[in-house]
Amino acid sequence: MSKPYRLGSGGRLVDRTKKVSFTFDGKSVSGFQGDTVASAVLASGQRVFGRSFKYHRPRGLVGLGSEEMNALVGVGLGARHEPNLRATQVEIFNGMAAVSQNRWPSLNWDVGAINNQLSRFFPGGFYYKTFMWPQSFWKHVYEPFIRRAAGLGKAPEGRDPDSYEQIHVHCDVLVIGGGIAGLAAAEAAAANGAKVVIADENPQLGGLADISGGAIDSQSLVDWTAAKGAKLYAAENVHVLNRTTVVGHWHHNFVMLFERVADHDPALLSQGVPRHRLWKVRAHQVILATGSIERPIAFANNDRPGVMLASAARGMVERYGVAPGSNGVVFTNNDDAYQTAIVLKHAGVGVRVADSRARAEGALPSKAREMGIPVDTGSVISAVNTTWGGLNITGVKIASYRKGQGRVIKETKAEADFVAMSGGWNPALHLWCHNGGKIRFDDALQAFRPDKHHDHITAIGAANGHFGLHQILEEAYHAGSKLSGHGNLHPVPTAQQAEERPLEPIWFAPATGKYNEGNKHFIDYQNDVTAADLELAQREGYESVEHTKRYTTFGMATDQGKTSNINGLGVISEASGKTIPEVGITTFRPPYTPFSFGSVAGVLTKDLFLPIRRTAIYQWHVDHGAVFEPVGQWRRAYTYPKAGETNHQSIDREILGVRNKVGLLDASTLGKIEIKGPDAAEFLDRMYTNMFSTLKIGKCRYGLMMNELGFLTDDGVTVRLSDDHFLMHTTSGGADRISAWLEEWLQTEWTHYKVFVTNVTENWSQFAIAGPRARDVLKKLDPSFDLSNEALPHMSFVEGKLGAYPVRVYRISFSGELSYEVATPSSYGLGLWKDIVAAGAEFGLEPYGTEALHVLRAEKGYIVVGDETDGTTTPIDVGLEGLVSKKKADFLGKRSLEQSFLKGPNRKQLVGLLTEDPNDVLPDGAYAVRHVKDKPPMEMIGQVTSSYRSPTLGRSIAMALIENGRNRMGETISFPLPGGKVVRAKITDTVFYDKEGAKLNV
Amino acid sequence: MLVVKCPVCGAEGDETDFHAGGQAHVRRPATTDPAHVTDEEQRDYLFIRINPKGLHFERWRCDRGCGKWFHAARDTVTMEFKAFYGITELPPMDVIAQAKGQWAEYFEHRLKSEHKA
Amino acid sequence: MSELSYQSPLAGITAPSGLSISIREITERGMIDLRGLTSDAAFMSAVKGVLGMDLPTRPRTSVSWGDVKVLWLSIDQWLILSSRSKAHELLAILRDALKGIHSLVVDVSDMRAVIRIEGEGCREVLMKGTSLDLLDKEYVQGCCRRMRYAEIAALLDVVEDNVFDIYVFRSYTHYTWNFLCATAKAPAKLKLFGAQEVPA
Repeated sequence: MSKPYRLGSGGRLVDRTKKVSFTFDGKSVSGFQGDTVASAVLASGQRVFGRSFKYHRPRGLVGLGSEEMNALVGVGLGARHEPNLRATQVEIFNGMAAVSQNRWPSLNWDVGAINNQLSRFFPGGFYYKTFMWPQSFWKHVYEPFIRRAAGLGKAPEGRDPDSYEQIHVHCDVLVIGGGIAGLAAAEAAAANGAKVVIADENPQLGGLADISGGAIDSQSLVDWTAAKGAKLYAAENVHVLNRTTVVGHWHHNFVMLFERVADHDPALLSQGVPRHRLWKVRAHQVILATGSIERPIAFANNDRPGVMLASAARGMVERYGVAPGSNGVVFTNNDDAYQTAIVLKHAGVGVRVADSRARAEGALPSKAREMGIPVDTGSVISAVNTTWGGLNITGVKIASYRKGQGRVIKETKAEADFVAMSGGWNPALHLWCHNGGKIRFDDALQAFRPDKHHDHITAIGAANGHFGLHQILEEAYHAGSKLSGHGNLHPVPTAQQAEERPLEPIWFAPATGKYNEGNKHFIDYQNDVTAADLELAQREGYESVEHTKRYTTFGMATDQGKTSNINGLGVISEASGKTIPEVGITTFRPPYTPFSFGSVAGVLTKDLFLPIRRTAIYQWHVDHGAVFEPVGQWRRAYTYPKAGETNHQSIDREILGVRNKVGLLDASTLGKIEIKGPDAAEFLDRMYTNMFSTLKIGKCRYGLMMNELGFLTDDGVTVRLSDDHFLMHTTSGGADRISAWLEEWLQTEWTHYKVFVTNVTENWSQFAIAGPRARDVLKKLDPSFDLSNEALPHMSFVEGKLGAYPVRVYRISFSGELSYEVATPSSYGLGLWKDIVAAGAEFGLEPYGTEALHVLRAEKGYIVVGDETDGTTTPIDVGLEGLVSKKKADFLGKRSLEQSFLKGPNRKQLVGLLTEDPNDVLPDGAYAVRHVKDKPPMEMIGQVTSSYRSPTLGRSIAMALIENGRNRMGETISFPLPGGKVVRAKITDTVFYDKEGAKLNV
Repeated sequence: MLVVKCPVCGAEGDETDFHAGGQAHVRRPATTDPAHVTDEEQRDYLFIRINPKGLHFERWRCDRGCGKWFHAARDTVTMEFKAFYGITELPPMDVIAQAKGQWAEYFEHRLKSEHKA
Repeated sequence: MSELSYQSPLAGITAPSGLSISIREITERGMIDLRGLTSDAAFMSAVKGVLGMDLPTRPRTSVSWGDVKVLWLSIDQWLILSSRSKAHELLAILRDALKGIHSLVVDVSDMRAVIRIEGEGCREVLMKGTSLDLLDKEYVQGCCRRMRYAEIAALLDVVEDNVFDIYVFRSYTHYTWNFLCATAKAPAKLKLFGAQEVPA
């Protein structure tokens, strides 16, 4: 393909000796090293980059950098595909595959463009007005329609093969933006010895200096910025980040930076360099040198491919040696855009200027006239003529204009194949606003600029609304000096620059027809919002700008209103008769530009997605075929199926093993907290519902804990090691929480208690050896203590040795069988575990998992906090009123539990359930209803909290919280299940097995 | 992401190294006189909180540091911390002076009753 | 019956190749968690009598005497490091010396894993997991600090310049190890501040 728009020479960033070829929509395109997708595709003669969101109008390039809102492309194939990248920021490399978006079947011929013909049916608020009725249309009509027709880009396919990471960094001064102002501020701060981070979103520093006229200390701006950049790169106290977008500013100067480390170079990716890196910067001072963004002008059909910002046209020529066309019109309301006319003329491109101001007599317009560029003042572009479908501009119409003029009467045709527009410049104050910075409207700029900010952030240069070179330098050097602590003022170099005359706002360039007569004046290109939509919203009464924003979707696209914001406010202002400050401004939200999910996740994916906790026996469980279940962050062995066994069969075998022989459970996850001090016993009396000060040394007691609302939060067995020393067990998930809870009360309420609390959970491996042969197994392990029922009865404790292993042994049971919990320091855990397995072999010992544990305890009616309780369950509800002390004056939750409504007769109470059909296993959470009806709603009277098939009893068992349950013993209640089946179950007490507890005391 | 500084050990860091523990200076009535806590007092203790726009007083814990609880005075609009002080202490007098509305009433009452005592 | 069989948290796992720094497990370290009040002169002198040195009272510092090192954990909590066998001796002596004094001494030798991180650039590797500014002058030999690392609690001990011991609760050993290996990959090596190459 020929390259109609590549100029014969020029292009500061491209290396014409290095050809790069890539594909755009499958077609091969070649460009040069240094090109972006935007410049290379434009150079190839392709102007259409995508279709618009709502109307599917063909769209071309508008901007030069991150402000681009039309030319969004998807880059990469398959799993490496990334949608919605701005073509102006994507650097090309050999073999890159880029695709346009939001078009079907092709860019130049798009079916959805019919929306454009139907556009009078797509007014402002279209979504709210249309997709409302009937409701049934949503699923089958509206949603598929919206999904197909809308959608920016497509998601990548498959797992991302690249790596991502995050890093924290602290600095004295963070400079955001590497243009003239940023470089100057960074230089001044660094000279004072401050630790400086400077970040810029582009591959090279310099900002827009290369397309701005002027000189510093008689050096060209390009040379000056290059020299300053090199100095910063070399400095010991500066970290320079290029290709790095500052995406957000949060409280206390927490700033997030998104670095595209390897996107531009596949060689880096193949070496394993992280693709993106997210920087979490904490800065004492933030200097905002983000520059400014040029405004489009709202004229009829201002979205046609070939209409771009004046700075973009200039940048294409200067940076890439690419002309935006062969013959164009610069449409402006300010002097700055004359630079574009001058640059185009120099490059041999035909150009004329239409200036909406009555007079243009600054230095730049004068120079343009001298060069022979025709300048029409008091003129606007009133129409853009195109070939069929709007693909190519064939000419424009220029009409004379006076401020306030409503409709164009007379217009003249001018040949043109592109338009370079400039409605002035907006300070890029998005980051200023992310964290509550105030802004104010500047009449001279006709734009908002930073005002006050409560954080340590200072805006300088164009970001602060200052466009004069000398003013920028002075402000930047002063800020850099002042904010770097020492305050030594850095000398300010002298600047040379053409004088510029003020702009005059133009929010709407009139056309011959009204808003909707074939003319669209686009305000928000990305969301297809026109001036007419905003005007309609005003007529419909959307007075608040925030409402107008949501109603029309103006400023809500991924570009967050970078180019559209002020123009939209201008239109609203004219339509409502309010001034722009009265209209107000919508909120800019992070991110400044979209950034990747990969960088948000960093390395925390796959096995690092969540912190996973392993006991010391974990690998043994894996090696013995355990199936795992998560318990908090722990991974616990759920069951150990043998070859050919289902999980159910395996669980049944494990349960019967414990009931008939002996089983071994890894209970290391149980919380263990040492509590010691002269006030330890009294303290425990405050924490538990029941009494611990009466517990005898060497004895264990089961305790219940409530929060201050009177609801159960934890339970466990505590042993008294000595008079002032206790060891508390908590639930597996509760160790950290309960240990912090104890500390909190000691530190904040009972500060006079002399008690120390140390969480020793992880120091111990702990195993339950449960079953009638448990004592036999322990005897084989050479215990240093007497295991007899007399010496070590149920609920007692002994410390000693099993062979060589130091152990703490608790005779406690969660299965109802003879049971010992044996704890040994974790480093010995695996060794002791293996010894127990070996010693138990002759008694039929097998390991059992958490599901068997749960069935065993449910057969005994033991509760699990979190299963039988839901955060609103009291000890009385679960039938443990006996564990709530009546003697103690105060303990946590006591006063709340005394409230009448927690004692009312209609509380849900824990009961047992036996289904009529013993083979029916009720689902967990199944609801009981007062009366079964054909369909919901039905009045619910409670729910199943635990439900299992009990191999011991050969039938199903369940527990449930049922309204007034304890007074309904023997009653049969109904559980309607999804699908229509109704299971009926009889209410019983909760103990299904060994009601007398005979098996415990053997 | 706030920067918090523990007044107990002096550790300064991101709020993720700390734990926010709700409103400061909430009195637990049952601690002093468990037999005579009215439903209203218990309600206020459990549920009634001040939610000011501006200066607020909070409890924090040096969660990933010394583990100690402390108090902080923070502006809920600007997020600025005006003071960090001990868990059994009142804020510095100059910060109390900046308190408004319910907080101003609270401190006035509290200082009076402590003065009497 | 059988011999006492010891297994460290990482159980012999070694670092993969291709890392920018050295990472390895330190095994068989004895650790004692000590709690007491610095305002209690009897407590302070009893401990000094056993350890031969004053407990560090300046936050986030450590002191050493011979083969014993004490890390400050809180205003009333310390971690005493030694060999495993020494820890058993110390525990008994400390308990004896602290009889009748309000305190809590617990052997926690099996509670944490210790991972040593060593080499140029190890501060940057750690800063991929902590929000602390490890480039600050505070983080020199003799400094120790608890922190949030990746998504868990950890304890950092600056052994010497570019040598750090990171202590995590035992159950998080593999998580921490995997996180370190993921962030220490050579192609992801970073140098914060200092002279950089000017990009082409």
